[in-house]
Amino acid sequence: MGELLLALTPGIFVIPVLAFPAILFLGGKLPCRGASIGIVGMGICLAASTALLVMALMQTLHLPYAWNFPWIRFGMFEVPMGVYVDGLSIVMLFVITLVSLLVQVYSLGYMHDEPRFTRYYAFLSLFTASMLGLVIADNLLVIFACWELVGLCSYFLIGFYFEKPEAAQAGKKAFITTKLGDLGFLLGLFVIFSASGTFSVAHLEDMVKAGFIPLGVLTTVAILLFIGAMGKSAQVPLFVWLPDAMEGPTPVSALIHAATMVAAGIFLVARVFFIFEASHTALAVVAGFGAATAILAALMGMVPEDIKRVLAFSTISQLGYMMAGLAVGGPEVGIFHLTTHAMFKALLFLGAGSVIHAVHTNDIWKMGALSAKMPITFATFAIGVFALCGVFPLSGFFSKDEIIHAAFAAGNLPVAVTLSITSGLTAFYMMRVLVLVFLGENRDKHSYAHAHESGATMTVPLVILSVFAVFLGAGMTLGHLFERLVPGRLVHESGSHMTTLTVALMTSAIAFTGMGSAWAVYKSKIVSHEKLYMVLNPVWHALYARLGFDHFWLFLVRLSDKLAVAVAWFDFEVFDQMFIDCFGALTVWWARLSAWIDDNLVDPLVDLQGKFALLAGALARSTVTGLAQNYLLYVVLGVGFILTLRFYP
Amino acid sequence: MIPLSYIFIFSSLLFVIGVFGAISRRNIITVLMSIELMFNAANVNLVAVNRIMHPADAVGQVLALFAMTVATAEVVVGLALVLAIYRKFDNVFVERFNLLRG
Repeated sequence: MGELLLALTPGIFVIPVLAFPAILFLGGKLPCRGASIGIVGMGICLAASTALLVMALMQTLHLPYAWNFPWIRFGMFEVPMGVYVDGLSIVMLFVITLVSLLVQVYSLGYMHDEPRFTRYYAFLSLFTASMLGLVIADNLLVIFACWELVGLCSYFLIGFYFEKPEAAQAGKKAFITTKLGDLGFLLGLFVIFSASGTFSVAHLEDMVKAGFIPLGVLTTVAILLFIGAMGKSAQVPLFVWLPDAMEGPTPVSALIHAATMVAAGIFLVARVFFIFEASHTALAVVAGFGAATAILAALMGMVPEDIKRVLAFSTISQLGYMMAGLAVGGPEVGIFHLTTHAMFKALLFLGAGSVIHAVHTNDIWKMGALSAKMPITFATFAIGVFALCGVFPLSGFFSKDEIIHAAFAAGNLPVAVTLSITSGLTAFYMMRVLVLVFLGENRDKHSYAHAHESGATMTVPLVILSVFAVFLGAGMTLGHLFERLVPGRLVHESGSHMTTLTVALMTSAIAFTGMGSAWAVYKSKIVSHEKLYMVLNPVWHALYARLGFDHFWLFLVRLSDKLAVAVAWFDFEVFDQMFIDCFGALTVWWARLSAWIDDNLVDPLVDLQGKFALLAGALARSTVTGLAQNYLLYVVLGVGFILTLRFYP
Repeated sequence: MIPLSYIFIFSSLLFVIGVFGAISRRNIITVLMSIELMFNAANVNLVAVNRIMHPADAVGQVLALFAMTVATAEVVVGLALVLAIYRKFDNVFVERFNLLRG
């Protein structure tokens, strides 16, 4: 049974791949305008993934399972294509198929009035398929191909409302920014291939573990691959695309933020963690960037008035947590947070979508007091918020606690402290959203009057996700289940040995402080937020401008633009006008010289030959007089000549 | 007895006169006559060689007679041609007969 399921894992990738053209070309004629294909296909994938997950938890599978066939041959090298399924893949498969299925069901309601409904579902399928391919691929080249497919689909979906200039811009921005990271990934691939001669993850792991690859190369590769992950997983300073990606439909944001796009970077680092593990430098870099991302994004998340943008910054911040968690605690810690985060972040986004669907605005200042009108959305959203804040015993508490605990255990005090502070900030801005949207008084009569609870297709996914958001963390941690799936916790000799309880109490205290302050500012108004705004005005503006990261990249883009113009000028003025044209002129002169020589020297010589032949012909013809007497004379002369030769030697 | 060399010199002279006449005369009748001279030079040789070197046989004389007969027939043909040419060109001057000119 288990073997059969494992052998069928490529099918989990193939089904949505086939669903893509099926929906695109046949969707219009099918029930639900093509959504049925996507949902049924994803349901099958989810069933298979769940079965795999359960069997992996019961440890009845022989993992890792590897199967491949030769794909590319060049010279003595051979790149196979195939699947490599281990606990990590199975967790990811489950998360991706679950979130994707719920998002597709949810979109039935959310996208109901969309004219490009069919195309939307086709791209959802392709997007999910590329991510599924990425997590089961057995070599880095295939991972890279899927990685690029993910990027492409994100471009289509973020820019889905392409009539809106902002959406079109956001799609381009996401595509180009992640391409910048992909450059690092690609270079990393070159380096690792030239050092090892293989792309296969399993072979690479063996080679690295056996110490065949020098440390310098490993560090380089690790950092290059991390740059790739930075782009996809929106780490500082390449996170700028993600807040703008909010221009896409909200369910797409849920998919991007929970399961597909941003998880790819984390997954990549976890997949090749053996490379990172071997290099302390790389681990330190990853931890540093992760922590910096976590706190900077959390700070930026305090200010936006757009509900989705707050969630976007929160995602970036949590991705920073995951990266830092990977670096200090290993895949088990990092991927655990990815899993729990996927659940509650999808929940939060879908909840936000439900709110936006009801009030037709993204601005949290135009919402308020929606808890009475939308009880299910409120309850599930609140669960998501508490899970993200790390309230005991929701899932975020366990996974975040693991990361901070691991950071202390690793003795990486700056990272540990940064992450602890960040959890307070997270609690603050999430509580701010919860209070402003659902509690307090309604600030916009018009939108409040029209607000209503969303339909079942939208609320059922919310409820399912909130169940996972509540129980996943506790279940996995208390049952010691997750380490069965993704073993690989880093063990540190040095570092402070804080007990789990101490860390848990500390993080809880910080989280409650953050939530309490938000409550104090936005609900009970002990400190009015207007007054705070006046005091912190410059800081607020700096944060609102995303600490200048956008300007920094824009500056770089403009700089490279100027550089390109300068190079173009140089190319035109110097190379084109001076060198190329000079050669051109010389060539023309040379051609004229050749033509002159041809006309005046070569041609007359040729003519001379002709003239000589004519002359010889005329000479010879003059002997043919037609007079028999002349011919007789020639005969006589000829005979005389021969006789002369004969007798006068 | 006249020595053979004298006869050879005589016949050579006769032949050369014939050649000279055939090449240089305008009148086609004269040319034909010169050709007859060359024939005769050959006949003289035949007769003389036979007479001096093999007096017993008359092979040379017989051959000379044959040659004269054949030459006569040729002259007939030649004169017929001359007649035809004369009818066509209205004269007998060989320099006019240049149809073979290249």
